[in-house]
Amino acid sequence: MAEKYQLKKTEVWDGNMAAAHALRQAQVDVVAAYPITPSTPIVQNYAQFLADGYIDGEFVMVESEHSAMSACVGASAAGGRVATATSSQGYALMVEVLYQASGMRLPIVMTVVNRALASPLNIHGDHSDLYLGRDAGWIHLICNNPQEAYDLTLCAFKIAEDERVRLPVTTNQDGFLVSHTAQVVHPLDDDTAYKFIGDYKPLNPMLDTENPVTYGAQTEEEWHFEHKANQHKAIMDSFPVIEEVFQQFKDLTGREYKTIETYKMDDAEIALIVMGSTYETAMVAVDEARKKGIKVGVVMPRVFRPFPYNQLAEILKNVKAIATLDRSAPMGTTGALYNETAGALMANGQSAILTNYIYGLGGRDTTVEHLLQVIEETQQNAEAGKRVTPLQGFINLRGPKLSFN
Amino acid sequence: MATPKEMLTTWDKIQFGAVLPSFEDPKTKKRSKFHSYNYKVADWRVEKPVFNPDLCINCDFCWVWCPDSCILVEEVTTKRGKKQAKMVGIDYDHCKGCGVCVDVCPTPIKSLLMFPEHTPIEEALAQWPKKEDKKKD
Amino acid sequence: MKKITNLKEFACTPDRFLGGHRLCPGCAHSMIVREVVNATDDDLVVSTATGCLEVCSAIYPYTSWDVSWIHIGFENAAAAISGAEAMHKALKRKGKLYTDRPVKFVAFGGDGGTYDIGFQALSGATERGHDFLYVCLDNEGYMNTGGQRSSSTPIGAHTTTSPRGRVSYGEKQKKKDITMIMAAHGSPYVATACPSYWKDLAVKAQKALETEGPTFINALSPCTTEWKFKPEETVRIGELAVESCAFPLYEIENGTKLRITYRPKKKIPVKEYLGAQGRFSHLFKKGNEWILDLWQKQVDEYWDYLQRREECGV
Repeated sequence: MAEKYQLKKTEVWDGNMAAAHALRQAQVDVVAAYPITPSTPIVQNYAQFLADGYIDGEFVMVESEHSAMSACVGASAAGGRVATATSSQGYALMVEVLYQASGMRLPIVMTVVNRALASPLNIHGDHSDLYLGRDAGWIHLICNNPQEAYDLTLCAFKIAEDERVRLPVTTNQDGFLVSHTAQVVHPLDDDTAYKFIGDYKPLNPMLDTENPVTYGAQTEEEWHFEHKANQHKAIMDSFPVIEEVFQQFKDLTGREYKTIETYKMDDAEIALIVMGSTYETAMVAVDEARKKGIKVGVVMPRVFRPFPYNQLAEILKNVKAIATLDRSAPMGTTGALYNETAGALMANGQSAILTNYIYGLGGRDTTVEHLLQVIEETQQNAEAGKRVTPLQGFINLRGPKLSFN
Repeated sequence: MATPKEMLTTWDKIQFGAVLPSFEDPKTKKRSKFHSYNYKVADWRVEKPVFNPDLCINCDFCWVWCPDSCILVEEVTTKRGKKQAKMVGIDYDHCKGCGVCVDVCPTPIKSLLMFPEHTPIEEALAQWPKKEDKKKD
Repeated sequence: MKKITNLKEFACTPDRFLGGHRLCPGCAHSMIVREVVNATDDDLVVSTATGCLEVCSAIYPYTSWDVSWIHIGFENAAAAISGAEAMHKALKRKGKLYTDRPVKFVAFGGDGGTYDIGFQALSGATERGHDFLYVCLDNEGYMNTGGQRSSSTPIGAHTTTSPRGRVSYGEKQKKKDITMIMAAHGSPYVATACPSYWKDLAVKAQKALETEGPTFINALSPCTTEWKFKPEETVRIGELAVESCAFPLYEIENGTKLRITYRPKKKIPVKEYLGAQGRFSHLFKKGNEWILDLWQKQVDEYWDYLQRREECGV
């Protein structure tokens, strides 16, 4: 029996430590992982917990991320709680198997520390890996600080393993900005955290060998579409469960999470839409701008997949101009948040002047001043009643102004 | 590759995660409808093996090498109390007619021979080579 | 442990890999699989790499398996089984197992999934010491996709990506020695096997399954479709491979103790093995004699090497 970890009411943890403690408290049966910057400390911390007797489960130090996710799929299909961690290139190496995990409806939890994708090589935070896994059939939750990384990792198990969902979930935190930034975290004690998640509920476990099952059958043109449609419905239908879990978490801790977070949107005429730690920077920028009389708010999809498009449209129904900020190089189009937002508005018969900004690639700083500039440009569009700024701009990029219309 | 009509279901009624149970009832080992045992591959065959029990010595070579698990055996107990498998026939639903069983059959006159698919068994047995014949195999 | 003495007894085993699969008529894969999964009465969890066995034994909505089975991808059968095995350990420790029955873990992969794309996962899982048996179904090429070369394809063989042609005699490289590579991992038990020698294979499978730790069997799987011989000849082709010592049967314990498990009474010329298959037919044309000679030389040298190792007890 694993030892209980004596935690203080407040701990000072970085995002990696927060995620590692959440994995420990979930009493994961198998963690199979391969270390990669900046999520390496999650794996290291977990190894130390194991070495100190705080973990009963198996810890499989595989030889690559591909094998990490493959071992997770094998373990999860075998019938128990499974988790891993990764970033960037490791995430990219896993992608093939991410689709397999979701297609087999295996409730694996992956704590992702977001990082840029090469080339050129970069170890710092952006959302390239998150966007790469966008269509992989996983639920993606966004965490903006260590407390959220901890809270949402606990929630992730509960969402993933719910019998109405049974889908894998990632929690995402920005590389270094969250993963390596120590902040105050209010953890639950081990028993309370585990009780919140609950025991793992097996479904078709391979290890129930008296009732053998076959995982990973081949479905050709006759069956594949039906299976994918069924899977899509499952992820679309997960919203109420996600909301329910967030509510239960609020009841337990007082900390509230929503599928879309908003800041000062009630009377907002213009809005920023952003994911990740820049949401917090944007809050400061909004406060600054409001001092100048600009009625601006900021919106963050807490849940990137499934994408809460109707809720987003509802939140945006009174705004005149919107700037969507994407932290990933869109390579030949507008960013994903731009596209999602445009779709959400169009589908609901709404319109607003919509622009896209690319920011923070490879860990480039995005400051309050940068966001004030974005707010100012968005305000120009709102005042003009039409788009007078470029469709797509680049924030804090050295050199001549780069923009696309 | 086509699925038989009665097995085709709609997107809302398919197997969760495409997971297939081998058994409908694990206790009795009753195979589920998802078991390939319920899928016939007999139409792959051009020739079929015919079994002549009079010549068989129950060596079970055909059983161990049949790639389609089509050699039907029955467990019998010998006078000395030993369990043995007695060859009793061929599962024509799953036999693809590869002819391995005939090839490995060691009896002087083979106790398994290939015949055109539509030859009735009785006819095949009537045509069986006799000891004095110059065997065709 | 189940006693495997003679075939009459062995054939009383209820089959756990059944018909209705779509492997080619005369396929050696299912001979190997049956000889392995029927060699134990313990429950099994099986992972299978992408390949002929996988695409033919689990075509939705059907499965041919009476044991728990998973396929994820081409390169990760060993990683998948290591995850399942780790889960078994974890649940056992926590007292949460689903059954008290003993469970063994087996991975099957073709030579593509073993020698090539899946080698890293196999090496990793072996090094980590998971308790599982990996069986390579070695048909010396990517047969599921129409017979392309792999690193197991022997010299001179015609494949669709190393074709014979006006200026080519086919595959240029020697077959990779996967069994020795796995032995070098320090695996407690590795062996070669051929389904034509059913007892040799079944007993090896049993030994491997009873041995704690990662074990490996490289089983030659004569491929009627791509080696180009008649479907009924599968067992005979396997015999020719072994009787000519082109594919010698041996086992190695702990990477250090080699034992030859089958010694042909009279070693036949390798030409007889090669000549029985269409993939080598061009080697018998004028100008290619040197490849046949080279083949024989390599077979002789390797057989000699194995015997010397066995004699020295290493």
